[in-house]
Parts: sequence; C-alpha cells; structure tokens
Amino acid sequence: MAEQPLEMEKPGADVPSRLIPPAETNERANDDGLLPPTQQQPVIENRDGPIVVRELYQVDADRRLPEFDQPSAKAFFVENRHDISQKLFALACTPGLPVRIDIIKKMVGHYYPGLLTLIEWDVVYWPPLGQSTLVVIYESPLGGRVLTRLSTQETKITEYDVPKKVAEPLLEAIHTIEEEVGPHRAIRADNLYFLDEDLEEIVLGPCVTSPPGFDQPSLYEPVYRAICQPEGRGTGDSRDDIFALAVSIIHLVIGRNPVAKIKEEKVLHNRLENGSYEGICNNIRLPLALIGPLRSMMADDPSIRWTYEDADSWAKGEMVETVKRLPPIKADIPFRFRKREHLTFETLCWHFCQHVEDAARVIQGDEFANWIKRHPSNLGLLQTIRGIIQARNFFEDSHQGSDAFMLTKVAILMDPNSPIQYKGLTFMPDGYGTLLGTIWNKEGGPQESADILNHDIASLWFSGHERVGQKLLDARKNFDQFRSLLSIKDPGYGLERIAYASCPGLPCLSPLIVRHNVLVIEQLLPALEGSAVSADTSSNPIDRHVAGFIAARFDSDTHPHLKAFASPKEDTSTIGMLSLLALLQWKLRSPPMLALSSWVGGLLGPAISAYHNRQTQEHLEREIPKLVRKGSMPELFNLIDDSEKRREDHEGFIAAQTEWLAAEEEIRSIEGADEERVAQGELSGQQAAATISILLSLAVISILFVTGLG
Amino acid sequence: MAGGTVLVLLALFSLPTLIILIPGMLPTGVAKLCDRTEQHSATFCVGGLNICGVFPYLMKLWTDNHSIDAATAAITDIFTMLVIYAAAGFGWLMYSVVPPVVSAVLNVLAERRVSVLKTTQVAIVKEWGPEVALMTEPGGQPPLPPNA
Repeated sequence: MAEQPLEMEKPGADVPSRLIPPAETNERANDDGLLPPTQQQPVIENRDGPIVVRELYQVDADRRLPEFDQPSAKAFFVENRHDISQKLFALACTPGLPVRIDIIKKMVGHYYPGLLTLIEWDVVYWPPLGQSTLVVIYESPLGGRVLTRLSTQETKITEYDVPKKVAEPLLEAIHTIEEEVGPHRAIRADNLYFLDEDLEEIVLGPCVTSPPGFDQPSLYEPVYRAICQPEGRGTGDSRDDIFALAVSIIHLVIGRNPVAKIKEEKVLHNRLENGSYEGICNNIRLPLALIGPLRSMMADDPSIRWTYEDADSWAKGEMVETVKRLPPIKADIPFRFRKREHLTFETLCWHFCQHVEDAARVIQGDEFANWIKRHPSNLGLLQTIRGIIQARNFFEDSHQGSDAFMLTKVAILMDPNSPIQYKGLTFMPDGYGTLLGTIWNKEGGPQESADILNHDIASLWFSGHERVGQKLLDARKNFDQFRSLLSIKDPGYGLERIAYASCPGLPCLSPLIVRHNVLVIEQLLPALEGSAVSADTSSNPIDRHVAGFIAARFDSDTHPHLKAFASPKEDTSTIGMLSLLALLQWKLRSPPMLALSSWVGGLLGPAISAYHNRQTQEHLEREIPKLVRKGSMPELFNLIDDSEKRREDHEGFIAAQTEWLAAEEEIRSIEGADEERVAQGELSGQQAAATISILLSLAVISILFVTGLG
Repeated sequence: MAGGTVLVLLALFSLPTLIILIPGMLPTGVAKLCDRTEQHSATFCVGGLNICGVFPYLMKLWTDNHSIDAATAAITDIFTMLVIYAAAGFGWLMYSVVPPVVSAVLNVLAERRVSVLKTTQVAIVKEWGPEVALMTEPGGQPPLPPNA
C-alpha cells in the first residue's frame, strides 16, 4: 500500500453516466481541501520495499528515534525525498487503538505556535507489525525532549523562567488549538520539546496517536478524569490542558515527578480527599510565586479553575486573583471500608465502585447509615439511599435490582461530579466513544458498554447534575441518539454504528479488513479490494462492522441501502449490498476494484434470480463477467437493478402467470368434463342424425315430385 | 288433436293415401312412442327416412290410380313394405350410429386442445421458470415480485 503508481487513471472516468447526475460529474468530494488518503488505490502490501508516505516521505522502520516516542506510538527516522535536509520523525501508532483522526485532518500542514507541526499522515503497511497502521510525520524538534535536556543539565528552568519561557507559549498553543481543532489532552512534562537547538523555544509534543488523555499518567489529569479508565477520560477542554500544564510546570521546576515515590492509588485518594494541588504538592517545596497560580490552575472544580485568560494574564506578569483553598468537608470519624479509612464521600464513593459486592453489602448496614447520618455533607442523603435500596429490592429480577445499578445510583448521589461508574467501567460522558472503541476487542467485549446504554446509566448521571451546561446537554443528546441507534438491530445500526460514530478515530474492526487499519471511508473499498484476494468469497464483504462504519463515516444518505441490505429476502439484501458498495465507489471516485467486483459478482446469484425471465437471467450472467473485468460496481449495480428491465420482467411474469393459469383452468375444465362431453356428443349426434334424415327426406320428396310430375 | 284432424280429413277425402300411410308410417309411430326426449330426434330421424320409403308409392298412387284397390295392392306387396321398412330401419341405424361418432370427434378435439394448452404451459415455464406455475389454485392472486 505504501507505494503508489505515479500515474493514476482519471477518477470516475469509468463511472456510468446513468448513475451520476450530470451536474455532479465535475464535483470532487473534498470539502476540507485536504488530500484524500492514498488508500484510494487498492491496498497492496509492500513487504520488501521502503515505507513511503504520500509518495514523498520515506520512513525507515529500522532507525528508531526513541527520544520522540509516545506511550502509544514509536518514533522512526523519516526522509523527505524532495528535501533531505528537512528534519522529521514519524510516529507509528498502535493498530486498533483509536487515534484522533478528526484533529489530524485539521492540523496537518498547519503551523500552530507552541506546537510541533504535523506534516503528513497516512495509513501504510508496516512490515514489523505485519499489518497496516497509522503513521504521522512531525517536524523534528531540534532541541529534543525538555526533560532529557534538564536531566543532562544542558539547561535549567527556574521559577523565573516559568511564566515567559514555559507558561506563555504553551498557553498560547493551548488556546489556539482549542479554538481551531480542540483540546490537546496530552500535555505532560515528557511531551515537551525544545524546538530550536538553542533550547529556548518550548513546544507541545504530539497528541493525536491515542484517545484524549489516554497516554497521560493520572497525575496530569484533573482528579475525576484521573480516576477514569485511560480510554474513558474524555475529550475534555482547555481547562484540562491548563491543569496538565500546571503539573508539567511543577515537574520542570522541581526536576522530577512530584509523586514518583507514592503509589498511584494513594495519590488519587489524597487528591480526592484534599484536592489535587494538596494531593500532589504536599511533600514538595515550590517557589512561593508559583504556589498561587499553580493552585489556581489545578483547582479540581473546573468552574473555578483558572481559564486561559487568567493564566495568560499571570504569564504576562499581570496581577490575577488566585483561587482560594477551600477546606474539604470531612467527617469527624473515618469510615473503614476494605482496610482503608475514608473521611469524605469522594474517596469512599470511588472505593465503593471498585468493589461492588462488598460495597452493596456495606451500604445496607447500620454502620454506614450511622456514619452518613453524622457526616457534615449529609443533607437528607440517608433517606434517599434507603429509597434506592428499597427500589433495588423491589426490582429484584431486573438490572435495577443488581448491586451494580444500586451502587451507581448511590455513587451519583454521594459524589455527583464523579465519572460514570457501572459494572467496572469508569468514564466521563465525553469519553464513552473512545471507551467503547478501545475495549471492543478486549476480553469481555463490549457488553458492559452496551449495558450503559441499555440500562440508561447516563441519564442517571445527568440527572445528578444541577448545573447543566451546553456541553452536558450535547452529551446527553448524544446518549439519547446512541440509545435509539442501539434499539435498531439491523446492520448499519446497533453498537457497531455507535462505536464508529462516537469515536471518529476508531479503525474498522471487521475481521475482513482489521489488518488494513481502515480509519476513513476512503480507505474502505481499497481495503476490501486487498482482502478480496484472501477472503472467503462466499461470505458477504459487508458485515456488521463494515455496515456500521459506512453508516457512521459516510456523508451520503445510506439509509435506503442499509434497509435493503437488512432485508430478510436474499435477493433484496444482495442488491442492498451491491448498491452500498456502488454508492461508495461512485461518490468517492474510487478507481476500478477488480478483485472486489469479482467477489461481489460471485454473490449476485440471488439478485439475478430475482428476475423471472430466463433470457434476462442468461443475459445478466453473460454481462456480469464483462463488468467484473472493468472493476466497476456502479455499472454492475446498474446492470442488476435496471428499473425498466425489472418492471418489464415483473409485468411479463404476471402476464405469464395469468396465461399459465388460464391454460391450467381450461385443461382442468376439459379433463374434468368427460361424462358431460359424452352426453353432449350423444345429443349433438342425435340432432345431427335427425337433421340428416329430414334433409334426406326433403331431397327425396323433391326429386320424386320433379321426376313424377315431369 | 291436429294429427286426429288430419286423419279424419284424409279418411273423408283421400282414403287410399291413408291406407298406405298408416301401415307405411308404423315405424315412425313406434319411434314416436319410444322417443321420450325433448328434441324427438329419434322420431325425426326415423320419420324422415320412413317418408323417403313411403313417398314413391304415394306418388304412384296419386299419379296412376288413386283408388282403394290400388292402395291395398301396394300395401300388401311384400317388396313395397320391405322398401318402406328398410328406409325406416336405415333411419334407426343412423340414429344409433351418428351420436357415438360425434362424441368420438368431440373427444379427439378436446384432447387436441389439452395437448396445445400443455405445450403452451411448458413454453411459459421454460421462459419464466417453474415459479410461474407455483400458484395452482385457480382464482388465487399471483405472488408479488421481490421489491428491490
């Protein structure tokens, strides 16, 4: 796949005019002005040659650049074939892991201040992995990783350098990309680079090779995102980036991870109990001038955390009011659960959700009730919890009677800001898509994720929030749409569609093409073309994953095609499959797909059989191989689903049926009337005999008269 | 009633004719008695040919000597009676033979028609496939085609 022919046939040249409205023949579906992926050509696995991206960037898979590695992507040497002086590195992503393709498409080729420039991207065959993967090419930061330079003491960042050298450029980068593409969500000390050899200009590293926040140590995430599963931390916004920047500054200033020697779980417990700043900076000494700004940038409540404007003003030397430390509300007496003592609802709630069965038992006990009753945050909480327990006992036979459901409700009640926690899944609402996409192929599959929708857990979570902003409303709307999609079981809907719609960077997980790592719709047909060589051609090239992928990622209206594809009638389903593929090839101006056409052509038996006329069937069987050799599915579709031909066939069939039936009725009438016919014959014979007799007598009498008188 | 009037008139004005007619048309009378059908085909069949046998002798009587003696002589001639009754017998023969022949002809025509219809059905099935013949209940609705 990496190598492309230099000359390509003009796209769409072979598409029949009947299928393309004349007004659209000159349109090119490329609204964003970007080059489509090179996978417009069929996937050809180049196992021996060089790895070339967009015919320009040659990636050397044998030359690693570990300095630029990301937790989810390895860095390799790249050479620009037209400009070998350009310093670049390539990141080969982990196949199957969702990437931030929507951001990649927006960022590619654009310069953003304070950010490494993303030069190019493509999905290429990666020989070491034996499959295709996403490769993103970045400009190489000449000064290398900041932490590396600090550890070798080639440079030093003091408290006086922080505002101008670190905070100001990085805040500008955070602000710019938030405005133009979205939050960075991968800001951490080891993802900061010196862009120049003089080690003056610090920039943010790559952020597109994994889901938002996925690569981040929990330390760099706001506390409620930190306790989520990495894949469910959510897209977030620039306030999360500001939090991560504050932690990065701490790391740079003190020269080490501030909580490196403390267990992660303990750090999270401290952060939930005392606040993130206190939980992280408790054992370190920070310069006095930084304490207020850092505490303000690390406030756990996003509504009081410093915004970009606040932080930028501080970085520019202006006076900004810092966030005051609010003492957490704690119980006088700790509650002991599984050998850990809790003083706040937040820590207990988090701990409960990690041990559902134990927690369900404890919640129903008197000890917990007494502790809640005496807790300063208890405002009628106990009564509500008792109501939840009663409801659980009432709905014993349904999911509402499960420990997990009860505990989720209790958790939302005790700590409304906590993430959605159900059946072992912990995620923010805006992280549901990446969570679903990432865990799909993991052990256990996506059933628990589906239960989130089936049991309407998100609505419970949203109902626990008094302040509902636009983002929450949008998220709630998304979940409502997901639930309605889940209720439709046809291909192109269901959980697969939700996964591809909610996680734009999730590659198609169909077993047919999973090794092609198909990320965008333009890559789908070439991947199927590549798979056609080795696939079982008696199977359908469109399975539930492919159908869901098309429905979610293809802009055109695919509903009628999917409806036909889902038909229980084999011929209609086959035509639906062909029409979907033909629509893709036509709209995307894909080149001829010989192997895929051959595959599809072999499956058209039921569609041919839908015609009754044997001559028409023979004609189609003669014509299909010709079109298969052209690789054109639109032409195949037009041949098979010619409405005029179909109408004639239908009318002819009805007429033939009527004629056959009339003949049958007449035959039955003749064969069933033997006795009647005999009787009729007798009667007719008698009448005939009488007539002959009369005529004979008249003749004789006349002759005798004539002769007698003569 | 009408027959009786004719007989009375004949007896009054043409007794010799009546002397030939009564024994000569005896087979027709028998046929009339035996024939219970509405059409009275047997009567017409026998009667027609019976007349053919009687009429030459009536013509001879009317043209030569219209007398009771001549009529009696004719009627007592065995050859005359043989001719008259043979003609009537031929009428009976026709009445017996023609109906089965007509029935046989009609049967042949019906079988020929069935053969033509079955050939047409085979041609339809060959062109449209066996599904065209799936609906065998006369008067039923034809199945709907696939709606793609």
